[in-house]
Amino acid sequence: MTEPDESPFTTSRRRFFKILIGLFASINVAALGIPFIRTLFSSPYRAEGSPWTRIADLAALPENEPLEIRFEMPVDEAYLHKTVLNSAWVIRQPDSTVRVYSPVCTHLGCHYAWNSGTGHFECPCHASVFGIDGKVLSGPAPRPLDLLSSKVDNGAVFIKWEQFRVGNTGKISI
Amino acid sequence: MLSRLMQWLEYRWPVSSVTRLMLDEEIPGGARFAYTLGSSLLIVFMLQAITGLMQLLFYTPSTEFAYDSISYLRTKVAFGWLIHGLHYWGANIMVVLVALHMARVFVWGAYKRPRELTWLAGVALLMTVMAFSFTGAPLHWDQRGYWAGEVGTSIAGTTPVVGSIMKRLMRGGEEMGQLTLSRFFVAHVAALPAALMAMFVVHIIAMRRFGASGPWPEAGPKAGPKSGSEAKRLPKGLFWPDQVFKDSVTGSAVFILLVGLAVFLPPSYSGQADTLDTSYVPKPEWNFLFLYQALKYFQGSLEPIGTAGVPTVLILILVLLPFIDRNPERNPFRRPVAMLGAAGLAVIITWLSIAGYRSAGFAIPGSAGGTKSAQASMPETPLMGFSPIATEAVAAEMRLSSKTAAPRNAGQPDLSKVKGLPGRAAYIIGSAGTGAVLFKKHCMPCHGQEGVSRLPNPGSQDGKVPDLNPIDRDLLGADADTSAQNIDRFIQHGAVPEGKAPAIKMPSFGDTHTLTQQQIANIEAYVLRLNGIERAEVRNPGMEPRSFFLTLISVYALVLLWVGGSWKTGRPS
Repeated sequence: MTEPDESPFTTSRRRFFKILIGLFASINVAALGIPFIRTLFSSPYRAEGSPWTRIADLAALPENEPLEIRFEMPVDEAYLHKTVLNSAWVIRQPDSTVRVYSPVCTHLGCHYAWNSGTGHFECPCHASVFGIDGKVLSGPAPRPLDLLSSKVDNGAVFIKWEQFRVGNTGKISI
Repeated sequence: MLSRLMQWLEYRWPVSSVTRLMLDEEIPGGARFAYTLGSSLLIVFMLQAITGLMQLLFYTPSTEFAYDSISYLRTKVAFGWLIHGLHYWGANIMVVLVALHMARVFVWGAYKRPRELTWLAGVALLMTVMAFSFTGAPLHWDQRGYWAGEVGTSIAGTTPVVGSIMKRLMRGGEEMGQLTLSRFFVAHVAALPAALMAMFVVHIIAMRRFGASGPWPEAGPKAGPKSGSEAKRLPKGLFWPDQVFKDSVTGSAVFILLVGLAVFLPPSYSGQADTLDTSYVPKPEWNFLFLYQALKYFQGSLEPIGTAGVPTVLILILVLLPFIDRNPERNPFRRPVAMLGAAGLAVIITWLSIAGYRSAGFAIPGSAGGTKSAQASMPETPLMGFSPIATEAVAAEMRLSSKTAAPRNAGQPDLSKVKGLPGRAAYIIGSAGTGAVLFKKHCMPCHGQEGVSRLPNPGSQDGKVPDLNPIDRDLLGADADTSAQNIDRFIQHGAVPEGKAPAIKMPSFGDTHTLTQQQIANIEAYVLRLNGIERAEVRNPGMEPRSFFLTLISVYALVLLWVGGSWKTGRPS
């Protein structure tokens, strides 16, 4: 609102101040806002790659029968350095290789279990059912069970522990 | 003196004007109990703020200590059971009260022009309360809360386009962990309270702008929308003290109800969060069950409809309601479409919630006896999944115990036969319910159903596997903590019974990672319960909960009697 006795000079002076105040405020908000929002959405730093972890001896594994193996491994979680108990489903193949599944259901991240009665993997959360080959038989799971890299070396089973995004059709490592 | 002080203050800060502004409100049609739901919400929110603040004095927002810090508050802090119980039940009651308050406003048609903004702020408050509920449960870092958070953030993660960003924002990374707990904590104790208070101010100012809407116009000969002139003819009530009195009656009733719930239905222990325990069936909190159940009807490529579409539609209905329903009629009997639509929605949500509550999730793997476990330190002897057939289990145990057996120290008291100290599990308050499922699978084959053992153990001094119900009296200490520590050493490290050559030995469950520490804690809680000891017994109640409730009720009864008595004697007869 321009007051009647205001000269054009004072009006532009007011406008000048308004623009400058707006600019200062915008710069400050952007200088803080952009980095802070970036902070909120960023993933925590993690070292690349995962080492081979020895989880079992091949001789102890029954053939063609899934076994949940538990193993301890050092894990860095943000600022916590701890030894974590993880698990994986291991199936010894007739040719003495192994298939190792991540224990996390590909649907929403629950831990599924092997039902020896039906011969299927079953997830207690939303009733996803997987075959021994990891394929989805029924339920909402979007993709087969996630295979972990594994190798047999000198009679011992090694895996690379990895976690994957859940709820996706594709297997994306995180 | 006091009046001079008041004058001094009044000159500098207009106390009486502000008080008048807040209390001098006319209630068209007079005060009613139906209008007390909003103020009850305010009372419960203040209770949540106070009990929340009290909990913060003991709570540690860390994945390692959160669970134990709440256990400590509940069992070893004077009136900790009351603080935690009130906060837990207050959270549940708050959701109920919000639903009732909204239903009341809907039936009275009080969301209609010009009160749209009051309704919108109310919808925002509903969202905030749901967000409180969602972020509050995982702070416990127990099985219930952890999985509710895990499943909830995963559901958000399946939203098309923005899903993975939203999930990362909520979790502070890709996985549930310390950073997730920190985010939920900050949201719950700082961001959401600020948001709620801001929305509350908007809600109240918008409400006072046009005042309370009052009763709906009577059903009669169909007249045009003349609610404005009709309201003017209504008898006026006053907010102070008429409505405030009714508010205080409802508020006190809600408070007594909350104390009663905290005393007689203390929240159960679901055990410390444990991602490796598949025997726990994760379910969201009851107020999210309808979304969880609705999700089951949308599978495969339709899933985003269930995870993102359904909640979005529900929120849109609430937000757009005052703009879609522009009929000025407020009498519920003359708005059949709106009333039937709302009733239909309420029935669907209730039905989905009940269906979600009833669904067992799936076959519980722990009880099926099909899961097999093994461990790393001794991979050559994977522990066979114990089936109820004892012989098979005994054979498996013997194979295992021959490798893990503790060195024998015959002739010494029971406890010294066990090597090693109590493990982590001894200090975790486990869930006896989950423990029962684990017991069936891992302990029952030898120790028998409910710990009554009938299995002979040739070569041992007792000749049979020891009973766990009743358990050896030497193992029961002065309190649940010491008893758990004594039992824990056997479960952690295993043991060899006394005797020449016992055929069956107690295998180690902790050292071999056959069971997680959380699972062992659950089994200990169950074994103690078999022996009449509650693992979660309140050691320092401050005052016995039932006595506290009785005292509260008695004081209320006495005051009511006294008021009633003086009312009667005060009257001219």
